[in-house]
Amino acid sequence: MLGFIIQRFIQAVLVMAVMSVIVFFGVYAIGNPIDIVIPPDATQEIRAEAIRRLGLDRPLYEQYYYFITNLLQGDLGRSFVYNMPVLELIGGRLPATLELVLISVISATFLGVSLGIYAGYRPDSWVSKTIMAVSVLGFSVPSFWVGLILILFFAVNLGWLPAGGRGETVEIWGVAWSFPTLNGLSHIVLPAINLALFKLAMMIRLARAGTREIMLTDTIKFARAAGLSESTILRRHLLKLISIPIITVFGLELGSTLAFAVVTETIFSWPGVGKLIIDSIGVLDRPVMVAYLILVAFLFVSINFVIDLLFALIDPRVRQGAVA
Amino acid sequence: MKNQKFLVPLAFALSMTAAGAASAQTLTMGVRGGPESMDPHFSALGSHAEAAKHIFDTLVWSGTDLQIEPGLAIEWAPVDEDTWEFKLREGVKFHDGSDFDAEDVKFSIERIPVVTGPTTTAIYVRRVTEVEVIDPLTVHIHTDGQAATLPNDFIRLFIVSSEAAADYSTPETAAEGFNSGAATIGTGPYKYVSWEPKGDLVLERNDDYWRGEGAWETVIRKEIPNDSSRLAALKAGQVDVINYVSSVDYLALERDSSVDAVTGDSVYVMNLQLDQREDTPMVRAIDGSDLAENPFRDMKVREAIDMAIDRETMVDIVLEGLGKPANQMMPPGFFGSSEKIPMPEYNPAKAKELLTEAGYADGFEVDLYCTADRLPGDAAICQGLGQMLTQVGIKTNVNAISKTVYFPAQARLEYSMFMNGWGTLTGEASYTLGSLAHSNDPDVKLGAFNRIEYANADVDRLLQSGATMMDEDERRATYEEAMEKTMADKVYISLVQLQTVWAAKAGMLEFAPRFDEDTLAFFITPAS
Repeated sequence: MLGFIIQRFIQAVLVMAVMSVIVFFGVYAIGNPIDIVIPPDATQEIRAEAIRRLGLDRPLYEQYYYFITNLLQGDLGRSFVYNMPVLELIGGRLPATLELVLISVISATFLGVSLGIYAGYRPDSWVSKTIMAVSVLGFSVPSFWVGLILILFFAVNLGWLPAGGRGETVEIWGVAWSFPTLNGLSHIVLPAINLALFKLAMMIRLARAGTREIMLTDTIKFARAAGLSESTILRRHLLKLISIPIITVFGLELGSTLAFAVVTETIFSWPGVGKLIIDSIGVLDRPVMVAYLILVAFLFVSINFVIDLLFALIDPRVRQGAVA
Repeated sequence: MKNQKFLVPLAFALSMTAAGAASAQTLTMGVRGGPESMDPHFSALGSHAEAAKHIFDTLVWSGTDLQIEPGLAIEWAPVDEDTWEFKLREGVKFHDGSDFDAEDVKFSIERIPVVTGPTTTAIYVRRVTEVEVIDPLTVHIHTDGQAATLPNDFIRLFIVSSEAAADYSTPETAAEGFNSGAATIGTGPYKYVSWEPKGDLVLERNDDYWRGEGAWETVIRKEIPNDSSRLAALKAGQVDVINYVSSVDYLALERDSSVDAVTGDSVYVMNLQLDQREDTPMVRAIDGSDLAENPFRDMKVREAIDMAIDRETMVDIVLEGLGKPANQMMPPGFFGSSEKIPMPEYNPAKAKELLTEAGYADGFEVDLYCTADRLPGDAAICQGLGQMLTQVGIKTNVNAISKTVYFPAQARLEYSMFMNGWGTLTGEASYTLGSLAHSNDPDVKLGAFNRIEYANADVDRLLQSGATMMDEDERRATYEEAMEKTMADKVYISLVQLQTVWAAKAGMLEFAPRFDEDTLAFFITPAS
């Protein structure tokens, strides 16, 4: 197991190193951020001074060297645009994204798996057919459009829920969270539904396909022959057997949603990291872009690592394979 | 310069209770962009200065039509060739109760070059060599040579407290001191309460403001960059007023009685720019072979391009009526705009003739580049332009791209024909012509944004002499002549002047649109 962890760790470091090079050089290739942000009446001298202050006059390899040495000391640099340490900037917005994404992904998974198992267990009932029809919609309708419709319907026409932004927050362990307050929850509902819709549809389809396949296997036949109740079969046998693909997808979806909830965050003006990164790309704020993408790489590597450990817990075959 | 159209009140006789956004004492504004820091000297970005104007005052104030008016300085005059005297307003207090005086002015001016970010505010003080305190209410500002437009440079020169900001005036400490509120002490109409980057800026009224007390006890400035979301927040009652309504939404709002829309002219003019180098990269013959020379150096070709453009259609169809045809790089009425410049005629048949005369009977091919995400309608104008030029035989490949790609490439002189907006934020021509029309010459600090290598000795001479003329009428005539000469060369072809739309709950608020597009809480009042 230790060997497995070390191997994973080396992999993670390599992925992040490659990531930093690609992003750093990629952003450099687009052009000089100064040309986007410089005021129109700046003289040639002022422009040169602004470039010098950001260290953009140095050769690229030298800039990269400074970046990496600082990074190894835990310093991801300062944002060009906000003149704030990047970590502070990202850290300040992470809780907002975190609570939105966790609420939507977890509720989508629970609801999706339950509905999916039902649809797989009773494939011919009209309820199942309705569930499947809805899941097709969840897949095919673009999320920015759904977001706007949700706002139009629930916020503008009915006036039940706010149209965007984050609600009141309370401090827990020094971090501001909005889900414990009623006002905060009312702000989360619409963006969470918007984010959850696609994942819900995917979970339904995954669970249904798994259920239909497993229900035909000998395992279920023998369990029925042994006289186990249907609900015991579903909970103890079926759920366990269909959970490996579901956990894999859950992990990847959690990661990608955390990193790229951009569309929903933009439409609902949710002050999360997705919005931050899009705005940073808009002005070529290189320190923020590079730091963020490295953190995302780190996030994915760690999520995959946790998923592998979970497999080992759920499936004895994986566990034995890992030991052997 | 006075334009009556700007004083359109938002008031309509509708019930105020219908809106119910918040109490009448709170104004919540939904804005597209916000400050990048609470340090007013960090960025010259428009939305940054707009936010800073709530907390801080400037020495010179720029009014709704960009006319310059007294701010913290009550009068100013040149005392000799390279010195201006500014008399300061008496009895102004900072939010912490301390007095405003000449030391604060000196401190603020000297602080700017040290703490500025990449969107550099050093431009405001670029002419300043030394600040001399004569007495607590008088300062002398020494400049590098004659600086006739120095008061215009100072319209965004924010004055911070020399005591409160003393420890927060290095690049490392400035953001920390101002974002925490410790140094965010101004003389402006509102006091700082809290701010989160890209989030809400919360302000409370400064009861001792020298202009008088503002109408709102609390002001919340919410940043909502997405156009549709901002409008939805207004309709849902979360905000009271929004800026930058898109032209598509504007059409719908005209039929909506719950929302008032206010239209104001914008300082932005869209200019097509034609590279004047002998060898230009993005032009070729129709069959793909190289052309003998850069066609844009031929006056006939430039005239043909000008005549191929139907500005009326651009405004009516492409911009949904939210604009005006433009014949020069500044809106009419600005200091240096000329009334003698004719509106170019739309005549595609004549344009074809001119191209034939110039030796391009079969036309030629060019790649046109434009910004697609900077100003309302920029991508659509670009496409319209492509069609109009192709109709007269100039096969135009339209590339409407992100400003993050466009501006760096433009700075590397990679384009032959390109279009973007230019806003004359100071309301006078030295800002616009000095950067665009003068040949690019670092020695005289002019022409930094002339990316077509345009050089006209007459224009250069006029601009250089205009910058030193202290007599206003003489200077105005000089800039008008420079504008006429520049536009006559048709290397910059102005297309349309944009307009901006604000929206508010019907019958709730009253305000006059500002030319610089600022949305300032102090000048917004409840409808009476």
